[in-house]
Amino acid sequence: MSTAAGGAGAAGGRAVRASRGARAAAIGFLRRSWFVLLILLVWWLVTAAGWVDPYKLPSPGDVLGTLGTLLTERALLVDLGATLLRLVEGWAIGVVAGVLLGILTGGSRVLEDGIRPVIAGLQAVPTIAFLPLAILWFGFNGTAVLAITAFGTFKPMALATYGAMHQISPTLLMAGRALGARGLFLQRTLVFPAIVPSLVTGLKMGWSFAWRALMAAEIVVTGAAGLGGVLELGREIGAIDVVMAVILVILVVGIATEQLVFARLERWVNRRWGLVGAR
Amino acid sequence: MDGACKTYEGGDRPALLPTSFTVERGEFVSLVGPSGCGKSTLLGMIAGLLRPDAGFVEALGRPVEGPGEGRAMVFQDAALFPWLTVLGNVEYGLRAHGVARAERRERALEAVRLVHLDHVVDRHPHELSGGMRQRASIARALVMRPEILLMDEPFSALDAQTRTILSDELQRIWLETRPTVVFVTHNLIEAAFLSDTVHLLSSGPGRIVRTYDIDIPRPRDEADPALLDLRHDMLERLRAEVDDAAERRAQVAEVVAL
Repeated sequence: MSTAAGGAGAAGGRAVRASRGARAAAIGFLRRSWFVLLILLVWWLVTAAGWVDPYKLPSPGDVLGTLGTLLTERALLVDLGATLLRLVEGWAIGVVAGVLLGILTGGSRVLEDGIRPVIAGLQAVPTIAFLPLAILWFGFNGTAVLAITAFGTFKPMALATYGAMHQISPTLLMAGRALGARGLFLQRTLVFPAIVPSLVTGLKMGWSFAWRALMAAEIVVTGAAGLGGVLELGREIGAIDVVMAVILVILVVGIATEQLVFARLERWVNRRWGLVGAR
Repeated sequence: MDGACKTYEGGDRPALLPTSFTVERGEFVSLVGPSGCGKSTLLGMIAGLLRPDAGFVEALGRPVEGPGEGRAMVFQDAALFPWLTVLGNVEYGLRAHGVARAERRERALEAVRLVHLDHVVDRHPHELSGGMRQRASIARALVMRPEILLMDEPFSALDAQTRTILSDELQRIWLETRPTVVFVTHNLIEAAFLSDTVHLLSSGPGRIVRTYDIDIPRPRDEADPALLDLRHDMLERLRAEVDDAAERRAQVAEVVAL
């Protein structure tokens, strides 16, 4: 009898715990999204009441409908694919170049003193200001856009690498040198892994800079496929629902890469490098 | 090799006055003293990680011009590479010297067994206790089969119990492998327990004030009354030195004030 009571008690406890978990999750969700829900509500109210011209602000339903049509017709998917490909390519080029420059010059006082201020200065100039230059060099095409994306990634990546180089523990470097590591081997097996946790932060930052530079460039250079071109086309033909649908796609891509790719990468690196408790 | 395997003579600003001493091959020597007495500086110079301003350091019959060449170092905070496993850490020096994979693995496992870490070879440093980390770092040095092992306060970050266990282990390992050891510590009993020779250093500026030769047979016991007497003696000496130094500083301050 006592066991039966105990069993019932335990089952009840589980149920209570489960419902508590569900409630906590619901509250968490509300806390993070109440403002977004409020915006959606106001948007819907304003458009449903007819207070604004639908040519200035279409209803949420219209935007979603347009998005659905664009996606099923696949035209938008082609543009999305082209944009993402360019983003990944430009970002990868910028990352490799930035990290290499950061490591090469971060190890030498003379090189760093000369080069770092230049990169920092360039970082103060919005990347898109270099687009006309890129168009003159590479033509009014995807290559110019790619170059701008890579450049936009390169600057913060190089700066992040410099910063990381200065945070390497001197004892760790001494330990490596005492074990006979030097030159390229030291750079590859000690300096590079030691800066990885900081680089992951840099990768994330580089990605968001790449994303901004890419969108700005695509809106100007509309010849090739890409989301920026669709935005610009939407403006030309006055299709505000298309413009807003594309903005929504850009937003979702940004959040998804942050959450699915970079947050996971960061967690993994922090665990592997033993930084979990330190943060 | 003949008797003198290392002669050191160097001056490193006020941190260390010109200092000379010799360590015989296979000898266990400790440098003991309060913080700021230049003992770590001394060790860094022998390791080839620091350059003396004047004077020279010689190891194994050759002048020291950089790290390596039969010398390995153990650091105070273990200084393991956090992204590598225990085995990866132990193999690192062999990789740097281009040792082939199979031999590397074999020698690393042997070193890891010597420090009793064979059950955690695949763990990362942050998954280990402080004592285990320091064992791993000792294995990382020993795998190089160093003729000279340099240890910079290796146990000072550990709790008293772990420290006692590890100095016992170090005695055993030393008896098994017999490298020349230069051991830096501020723990007198640890120094007396482990060493053939203890150099007592004083701070402000750093210099050797007294040298003790310890011929108690091994394996030793930390509770040996002879060791305790020795510790008492060293402590008295250090106290006197600290007082002297304080007095000298006070005199200087007075002169400056005038």
